[in-house]
Amino acid sequence: MKLFLFLICTLFSLVRSQGNTLVLLDNQVIRETHSIFFKSLQERGYNLSFKIADDSSLVLSKYGEYLYENLIIFAPAVEEFGGTLNVDTITQFVDDGGNVLVAGNSGTGDVLRELASECGFEVDEEGAFVIDHLNYDVNDEGQHTKLVITPDNLIDAPVIVGSRKDVKPLLYQGTGILADPENPLVLPLLSAESTAYSYIPEQAIKEYPHAVGRDTVLIAGLQARNNARVVFSGSLSFFSDEFFTAPVEKAQGGVKSDVSGNRDVAFAISQWVFKEHGQLRVRSVKHSRVGEEKPPSAYTIMEDVIYKIEIDIFEDGEWKPFSADDIQLEFVRIDPFVRTNLQKKGKQYEARFKIPDVYGVYQFKVDYDRVGYTRIYNTTQVSVRPLQHTQYERFINCAYPYYAGAFSMMGGLFLFSFVFLHLKEDEVKKSKGD
Amino acid sequence: MFSRFVFLLALVTVYFSTTHASIGGYICPSDKKKLFAVLVKALINEEGDFSTPYYGVKGFKLLNEQLPTVLVKDNCAHIKQFYKPDSSPEENFQALTAWNLLGCTGKLQTDATVTHLRTILENTKASTAEIRYAAEALKLLNIAIPNGQKVAQIIQSRLKEDDSLQSLGHALHAAALLGTAGNFILDRIEEVVVQADEVDGKLLQWEGGLTTTSLLITGLLRIPGARPLTAEQAEKLAAYLLTRRTVQTSKGALALIEAATSLAVSDVTPVSISIIDILGRPLKTPPSPVVAQSATRITDDVVVLSKQPLSPGANPVEFVLPLRLEPGQYRIALSAGTHSTTLTVRVLGPVTIEWVQIGLSDADGSAAPRLTKLQHPSKLPAALHADSSQHLTLKLSISRVIHQAFLRLYSGKKEIIFVAEPDSSKLYKIDVNLASELAHSGTFEMELILGDSVMSNPLRWTLGTLEANLNIAEPQKKSVRGPKPEIKHLFRPAEKRPPEAVSLLFTGLTAAPLVLLLILWLKIGINFGNFTTLSIPFHLGFGGILYLFALFWWKLDMFTTCAWLIPIGGFTFLAGQKLLSQIAKQKKP
Repeated sequence: MKLFLFLICTLFSLVRSQGNTLVLLDNQVIRETHSIFFKSLQERGYNLSFKIADDSSLVLSKYGEYLYENLIIFAPAVEEFGGTLNVDTITQFVDDGGNVLVAGNSGTGDVLRELASECGFEVDEEGAFVIDHLNYDVNDEGQHTKLVITPDNLIDAPVIVGSRKDVKPLLYQGTGILADPENPLVLPLLSAESTAYSYIPEQAIKEYPHAVGRDTVLIAGLQARNNARVVFSGSLSFFSDEFFTAPVEKAQGGVKSDVSGNRDVAFAISQWVFKEHGQLRVRSVKHSRVGEEKPPSAYTIMEDVIYKIEIDIFEDGEWKPFSADDIQLEFVRIDPFVRTNLQKKGKQYEARFKIPDVYGVYQFKVDYDRVGYTRIYNTTQVSVRPLQHTQYERFINCAYPYYAGAFSMMGGLFLFSFVFLHLKEDEVKKSKGD
Repeated sequence: MFSRFVFLLALVTVYFSTTHASIGGYICPSDKKKLFAVLVKALINEEGDFSTPYYGVKGFKLLNEQLPTVLVKDNCAHIKQFYKPDSSPEENFQALTAWNLLGCTGKLQTDATVTHLRTILENTKASTAEIRYAAEALKLLNIAIPNGQKVAQIIQSRLKEDDSLQSLGHALHAAALLGTAGNFILDRIEEVVVQADEVDGKLLQWEGGLTTTSLLITGLLRIPGARPLTAEQAEKLAAYLLTRRTVQTSKGALALIEAATSLAVSDVTPVSISIIDILGRPLKTPPSPVVAQSATRITDDVVVLSKQPLSPGANPVEFVLPLRLEPGQYRIALSAGTHSTTLTVRVLGPVTIEWVQIGLSDADGSAAPRLTKLQHPSKLPAALHADSSQHLTLKLSISRVIHQAFLRLYSGKKEIIFVAEPDSSKLYKIDVNLASELAHSGTFEMELILGDSVMSNPLRWTLGTLEANLNIAEPQKKSVRGPKPEIKHLFRPAEKRPPEAVSLLFTGLTAAPLVLLLILWLKIGINFGNFTTLSIPFHLGFGGILYLFALFWWKLDMFTTCAWLIPIGGFTFLAGQKLLSQIAKQKKP
């Protein structure tokens, strides 16, 4: 047994540590009721520090250095964080690149609500559940709030939630989230069915519900401009051992599964939010004239140019070449003059094109922004100059008259100089002249 | 609409929400199945210790489940192989218990085991856990614990040094084994109970999670003659245990089963509905009579039923109460023998649609609305054509008030949902101002969604099509992400040039005067009589300058040309001056 433990320890030390993670809980029971989720994180190398959310010793950073890379808040009922933690420090944490996973429920406290609105989500009012009278589980307790969500309602982004086809039906019980569909940074990771709405179950519907139909977001994600990731789930139970292992059966029939897909989706979401998935980087950028190795100091218009870029993806703890067929290169002078698809050649992507016949300062720009992936925005500035006078076409047909004119004049002058200097006038004329 | 709702007591846990002094469920067969899966895993995954087989075997035993014979054999062999008499008391205890429970043939313990265990009991440095397991192991071997008083003293002195919950828990167990010598522990019971944390007012647990809680529950309930827990505490502890039904480790699973078992057999069994205990096993003698004291409608507190006895159902845990009630939520006070509880029950019933009218009306209300009556599940025969001055009106009458009465307009993935307002209690009306609600023209499908928590037939009904013409075209949706269309730069076309023949013709014409001059000169003849050899340097120089100019046009740049021009020019200047002065002298008479 000890040997085994030792082996496990060495195994874990080999796995790249995924970083320190602070887990804030309402009470210690949550740690046990969500043990599968936490255990999977620990097995993947996360160093979890469990704290009660209003613990007065909470700190995120010390001497300007963050103690944690990730933050999990599984404390829906918290009214105010303890220690130095508050909405501002958490927002600052996100601004500085930290990742946050938050789960609420129908009793989500004000402080989480405020945090959500900082991230561009809006959590429905206290006491509200997402209700769906047509898609609830057989084990529902009567309010029709334990919902069966088919995987079609997941966002179409395998990098975040895994492949939708392989996911089993999901269980969800909690409140609804509103997200601005115009906000390009906010992603509805899981939305409700058309028949769902978010309201307080015991109250008759007097006002228009905050979230209705497909607009009801159940789990919302945010990838900020600095690539920090935030996931806000309206349901804490979604991550619980109970929902991970529960069978799913829609009360109205149709959907049935021995075990819910929550486990897979929750793991996938945790991998995404803590940047195990979908993290890209540019390894190298090269550009040159075709046939040359090094970039010139300046390009001339209408030259053939070759551009190469290497893009890596972070997978299983290391950077590997990234494969995609929709990466585009733009050659931009204020507006793009050329936009072309990059072709994968070996490890790197490559594009060849002819520089436009307009000179100026241009940029090679790769702007790769896809759902779930970190945004790649890489620009390389180059200047493009007009042709030198020696670079134009040398002899053109229509200029032959000019050549002929000039040279005939020069030849004529040379001959005339002989005639003018050495002509001896005939005697006849001389005599005449006398 | 009255429902024929059969109220099965054993299954009612699905329907009642937890109220005070009742636990929200029990360890049902499906939970047990999960626990078994965990335990079986423990029995198969064998490492070189005895804890996992012990957890598995003990769990199976407590749940009264038979082990497969293959596993029994394997585990016996495993224990035999790895057992050492001088291993720790805990391992000894686990190995011996597993050996016993598995019913393995032969004797595992040796004399060395007994001596080893005895020395531990006499060791003043042994921890409470070691003492406890040593005592347990001896008891298992049917050997009396020597010198109980002394062991009790050791435990007490150990507790003074380490009074953590773990240590206390083991002390409780050890004291229970010591018989009268263990009575000292009675003073500590209150202290232990007080340390339990309450969570949300519903759960009770000790810090340290399931294993500690379980250790303490079993320990407390094991002390003979003590009544450590009140019924309320027991219920809260049971509620905590139930939240841990999904425990994943074999150790946790056994802890859960042990704690639940000892709660179930104790005198404070949290039998919320009293017919089954927390493990889902029937009580040996079902309490009787089971009476529904009253049933109250929650919405208006009207008592609809009182003092109605439940008739026994098909099996001993099943009691049936026919509820001929209107659909809704009811609070039922039940009593079974001396236990009583309150549960919230929902009575489901179908909702019938009396009639539905849908149509268009003018915004200013000038003309009477043209409404079409529909019967479920028929659709409108033709699409409704609406313009911006019209309202879409839907009226429906249903048999009772429901929570959700929505009208959904959708086309493709876009949807707009309208909430019906109750006009009078059972009459719902939706009035949609198309100009303000719809952003653009389009064809929309109309769907009616009716649902309620006590409605047994929630429905989605496609009513028909609405063609709205608002003179605002649907805006093009801009995609924020994804590949953009490719751009190819359009190069400026080359300028048009004259044909080569024309260029050559004009070249000839330009060269013609010189050619003509040469021809004419040849014809008339020129007398170079004045030629002197003195003129050759000048002509060479002049020819050189012209050649340099030709080279300048051909390939030289300005600087090279100038560099050459200065010496050649200077030379030509001097030669020219010489020549001219010579000519001038000649011409002078």
